[in-house]
Amino acid sequence: MLSIDSLGADPSYRPKLLLVDDDEVSLMLTATALREHGFDVIEAGSGDRALQLLTERPTDAVVLDAMMPGRDGFETCRALRALPGHEHLPVLMLTGLDDNASISRAFEAGATDFFVKSHQWSLLAGRLHYLLRASQTRMELERSKAKLARAQDLARMGSFDWKRSHTDRMGSFALSPEGLRVFGLPPQGMLSMHQLLRMVPEADRHGMMRMLRDVLRTSTVLATDVPVTVIDGRQRIVHVEAEPEFNDSGYCVGYTGIVQDVTDRRAAEDRIRHLANFDALTGLPNRRQLMWRAERSLDAARRSGHQVALLMIDIDRFKVINDTLGHAAGDDLLVEVARRLRACVRHSDQVMEGTLESQGSRSHRSLEAVGRLGGDEFVALLPEVGGEADAERVAQRVLDATREPIFVGGQECFVTASVGIALYPRDGATVADLMRNSDVAMYSVKSGGRNAQALYTPHLAGRGREKLELESALHKAIERDELVLHYQPKIDVRAARMVGVEALMRWNRGGTLVPPGDFIPLAEETGLIVPLSEWAVREAARQAKAWLVSFGFADSVAVNLPNRLFERSDLVEHIHQAASHYGVPHRAIQLEITETGLMRDLQNVIPSLHRLNEIGVEISIDDFGTGYSSLAYLTTLPISEVKIDRGFVRDLGITPQSSAVVTAIIALARSLGLRVVAEGVENLRQMDVLHRLGCGVMQGYLFSRPIPPDDLEAWLRNTILPRRAPWIGQAGALEGADEARAQTLGR
Amino acid sequence: MTFSAPPSDPSHVLDAGALARLAELDPGGSSGLVPRVLSTYANALERSRQELLLVRQPLQHEPLRQLAHTLKSSSASVGALALSALCAQVEQSVRSQQPGDIGALLDAMQAEMQRVAGAVQAMLRA
Repeated sequence: MLSIDSLGADPSYRPKLLLVDDDEVSLMLTATALREHGFDVIEAGSGDRALQLLTERPTDAVVLDAMMPGRDGFETCRALRALPGHEHLPVLMLTGLDDNASISRAFEAGATDFFVKSHQWSLLAGRLHYLLRASQTRMELERSKAKLARAQDLARMGSFDWKRSHTDRMGSFALSPEGLRVFGLPPQGMLSMHQLLRMVPEADRHGMMRMLRDVLRTSTVLATDVPVTVIDGRQRIVHVEAEPEFNDSGYCVGYTGIVQDVTDRRAAEDRIRHLANFDALTGLPNRRQLMWRAERSLDAARRSGHQVALLMIDIDRFKVINDTLGHAAGDDLLVEVARRLRACVRHSDQVMEGTLESQGSRSHRSLEAVGRLGGDEFVALLPEVGGEADAERVAQRVLDATREPIFVGGQECFVTASVGIALYPRDGATVADLMRNSDVAMYSVKSGGRNAQALYTPHLAGRGREKLELESALHKAIERDELVLHYQPKIDVRAARMVGVEALMRWNRGGTLVPPGDFIPLAEETGLIVPLSEWAVREAARQAKAWLVSFGFADSVAVNLPNRLFERSDLVEHIHQAASHYGVPHRAIQLEITETGLMRDLQNVIPSLHRLNEIGVEISIDDFGTGYSSLAYLTTLPISEVKIDRGFVRDLGITPQSSAVVTAIIALARSLGLRVVAEGVENLRQMDVLHRLGCGVMQGYLFSRPIPPDDLEAWLRNTILPRRAPWIGQAGALEGADEARAQTLGR
Repeated sequence: MTFSAPPSDPSHVLDAGALARLAELDPGGSSGLVPRVLSTYANALERSRQELLLVRQPLQHEPLRQLAHTLKSSSASVGALALSALCAQVEQSVRSQQPGDIGALLDAMQAEMQRVAGAVQAMLRA
């Protein structure tokens, strides 16, 4: 066969000809002449010989005498074409002058061209050169076509032609082999326009026909994705793109274009769209999708004047479940809750953006959904309600649905929810307003005891809007890592060394530190104090370990706990978990409980105190002296330390009563074998008095404010180790007095 | 077309122009093309002469047509134009299925073949 590269690239290449003639003289002459003209010629005296030679050697072209005895030129040509690989071999048929019959017979036999026998050798050579170049071009075209076919095949793409027809309403339609493959047909298959349209599911066919008619009527470009059920029954999506073809008078005579199987691409696009719009855990619409649906719902409501309801749904105490059963169980619970919430509304998963308008005035109904905003927060969007009664009915369904026990983490969980309702337009004109106000209503449920629903009312906002917002924000503070612990050292002033720290909670709310007085009471009131305190215990354990690693910290971190924490049976377990999780001993955590808190519910707290004491967790009584301690109980409690309330310390040296109280506390503590710590020590005078009265451990601004954890090491390095602070000298000076006092006490 | 009178000189039997074109294919005659062609032609002519006797009696149309066709082309190549023309007449007459007085035509063809053979032999000897 002709080698494109050699022929095209090398001018010295001699094309290989096979010359066939029964006339020896002609054969000899023609061969000689063609060799002179740069061809490499093989001679064959008969058609049979020619066919034999063709299979033996590469040949670029055949020159074939038409008239030969035996197998003549036409027969030879036919036989040659049947040889594999010779379908397109250039064959020049030599015919007699004015032999029209031979010319048409040559054409029918598959000859490439004909030449009238003559001795015009240069004409013959010229004709052959043209023939070879055409063949080369054709082969390049074939190769290019093959490449295109391969590319189309890979792209699952094919081409088609459609021509208008006067006889057939469907026109004449032809698909390339690759196009046929797109529809699951073999390359030799046939597919009529009618059959093609039958592949489109009935539901889509009508719209498809309408669109085709529109495109035809206006002679515009066609570009659309069509769902089809191809021959083998698979559901595919085929992209069709075609341009009109016009005749000279500007009349559209047909369309030419491509079909492409875009199922996989569409699936990928759908997946991306789904990821962007749906919550990965529960499969519900996510915040983004919900906002979009809510906006569309309000658009529709503005047009037709109906009401929209937004239900903010929050799982009560989800954090406790998550913390006690683990995150995996927490996730399972959310999935189950999501499944139940979905059933409470006419939830539609898919809202095609395009179909919203086309489905008419009721289309906004398809926006109805339950979505997950994040964490344990869900929203139900009701795009059209008759009034608050409708919304309340759905809210009640939500409450009932969540109340059923849920089996997760190997046990039954009892879950409740709090639901806040806001209505458009009454409770807000925008999605943001409705979200905020349903949130306010939901938090009013939380502070009212949870497991209920509430409608938003301006009264709610007026009464405690700020508080509700604060509560709402505090609720999220833990998840958002907004809480931090600062630490105040406890100092043994005589030895001038740190003997422990007290952890004090701060809330980093949007860049500013909220002091505990501004949110702890609220946390107490709402119950948030429980997760807050649990977090504090874990954080203190983590910090103790961090300091142990960085500078050998071996004291304890005191964490303030409200009495209700001590009532929880799982407190001991919680502390054990926190300590062992971070690899610190139990005694690294010390717990402080206020005297008032302790006495309020003494009976319920005592068991916890004993168990804590048993595992090595020391208990400290905070604000000591302010309550009405039952001294009888105090003697039996497993406590290690009392902290003199800052109020007495402040007045030391000013009012005689305060030093009397402090003296009494110190004496009591000493008799019970308890450590005494003075809080709120701000100046040397207070320190001096306390020290003289026998209190050696203090904390207060005189030594250090509560400082961020990272600053503690620096404070130790710069203050304690160089013994540079003013109070250190003072404490040293007190040594003598202390000794003297000890002697007077008979020690 | 009339039957040409047989000239005695080989130069009148074989066309000089045709022979010259033959020679052009082998400038200087280095590869001995002309003698090779002429001797090939002489052999083919002798084969045709013997074949013609066979296909005349009884007359076999197709072999005769083939023979005339091939001899027409090779004769033209070496410049035996009169013989080539006679061959063309025979071919035409057989093809048209009107062999009429083909006997006379074949006689003339045989005679011309004889003359051409003589002329070729003369040239080969020269």
